[in-house]
Amino acid sequence: MSVTRRRLLSSAPVLGAALLGGCSRDAMVPPVVRGGLVGAADVLTMGLNRFLLRDQPLAREYRRADIAPNFPTWGQTNPKDDEYQQHLRERFANWRLPVSGLVERPTSLSLEDIRRLPARSQITAHVCEQGWSAIAQWTGAPLLRLLEAAGGVTADARYVVIDTVDGWYEGIDMFEVVHPQTIVAYSLNGQDLPVGNGAPVRLRVERQCGYKNLKFLKSIQVVDSMVGFGKGTGGINSDWGFHWYGGV
Amino acid sequence: MVHSFNVRFCHWINVIASGYLLLSGIHIFLDFPELYWGHTGYQGYPAIFRLADWGLSWDEAGALGNRMWGRNYHFTFAWVFVINGLVYVAWNIARGHFRSALLPGRGDLTLTRLWSELGEHMRWPATSRPDEHYGSLQKISYLVLIFIIVPLMGLTGLAQSPGFTAAWPWLLDLFGGRQSARTLHSLGTVVFVLFVVIHVLEVMAVGAWTRFRAMTTGTRHFFRGEEI
Repeated sequence: MSVTRRRLLSSAPVLGAALLGGCSRDAMVPPVVRGGLVGAADVLTMGLNRFLLRDQPLAREYRRADIAPNFPTWGQTNPKDDEYQQHLRERFANWRLPVSGLVERPTSLSLEDIRRLPARSQITAHVCEQGWSAIAQWTGAPLLRLLEAAGGVTADARYVVIDTVDGWYEGIDMFEVVHPQTIVAYSLNGQDLPVGNGAPVRLRVERQCGYKNLKFLKSIQVVDSMVGFGKGTGGINSDWGFHWYGGV
Repeated sequence: MVHSFNVRFCHWINVIASGYLLLSGIHIFLDFPELYWGHTGYQGYPAIFRLADWGLSWDEAGALGNRMWGRNYHFTFAWVFVINGLVYVAWNIARGHFRSALLPGRGDLTLTRLWSELGEHMRWPATSRPDEHYGSLQKISYLVLIFIIVPLMGLTGLAQSPGFTAAWPWLLDLFGGRQSARTLHSLGTVVFVLFVVIHVLEVMAVGAWTRFRAMTTGTRHFFRGEEI
């Protein structure tokens, strides 16, 4: 199921941000531009990507037969966090995902709430920046639907900040947020999302590398600036020194 | 041979850019030292090349490679390489350099000519001085490198990027998948390294210092009729 034009239009504030995002500075450069030749290359890479992606094409969707036999788990595969372990024992029955910040009606969603939102299923390639890639089917609610459940974003929204149980965070810009394939996935290959892959829900940002596709979501905040989060570069990976834009 | 300013300038920028591309590419590879074919490839999936089979284990390779440094500098010097390459090609097309200096002429491609050149290239040190023109083998290898290997390296690089392949999905079809592209990109690296090794050996065979100076200042120096 893709996002129809009318559904997008019904979310006027988000769409406004997206339309602006399509040609504004926001969609072209990272929250903080690094210095030197590396920073110049970052701007060229992200600018060229966003120019080529200006009509928001979908990432390649594959056939069922292309699905990888064992989708790998990488990095954190079972957070030690007590609260998380409690939710895991309760099969996430009392787990909630807060959606706050620059939204009309801050809220928090249960796993059932997210499952009741219009769903999207996509068979896509997970592309890790390490070099591996694997094809899997992901089912979830578009991130845009979660924001709509909170009344939609306000006009000054620029990034959606995702925090995870294991202390990771990433800022996703509105250009990527409004993309139909940007989903909060609760299912991998038709099964409940396994713990190793980020249960109960993980983010899918199909046009960017694995490090943007956070697992074990803890909260969603809409902000107008990445200042105050980590070192302010826009995500934990860019705080460490990776390029904030994960499209290459 | 006297090289034009454009050839000399772009050559040395290219040395720096491709040096960094090679080094950073090795760093990226060491962090995931296996190659696959098709769309899918991960640790445990049937590989067509594993560095571990050649004596360097996964962990040892990972300790040597720094993919963050590698990715940052690979993409930075990819831009330097591309911009420098476009300047080189545009300039040389405008000046007719490709046609006059690199396009093989009538008689350049006969078997006897190629065979005798190959024989000359095998002598150490070289018995013949470089003349005013590139040899046939030189012309062929430069043209193959510039117009076949380099574009393929660029496309197989882009075919690994989730952003570029969303914009240009034909990249995935062209190489039969992201992992195939990564494997071809690695093979292209081997071809490039072989080119550099032969190139440097040839330069040394005819006189490293005179050739280095010719590629740097563009001037030739003679002493008693012999180029020094």
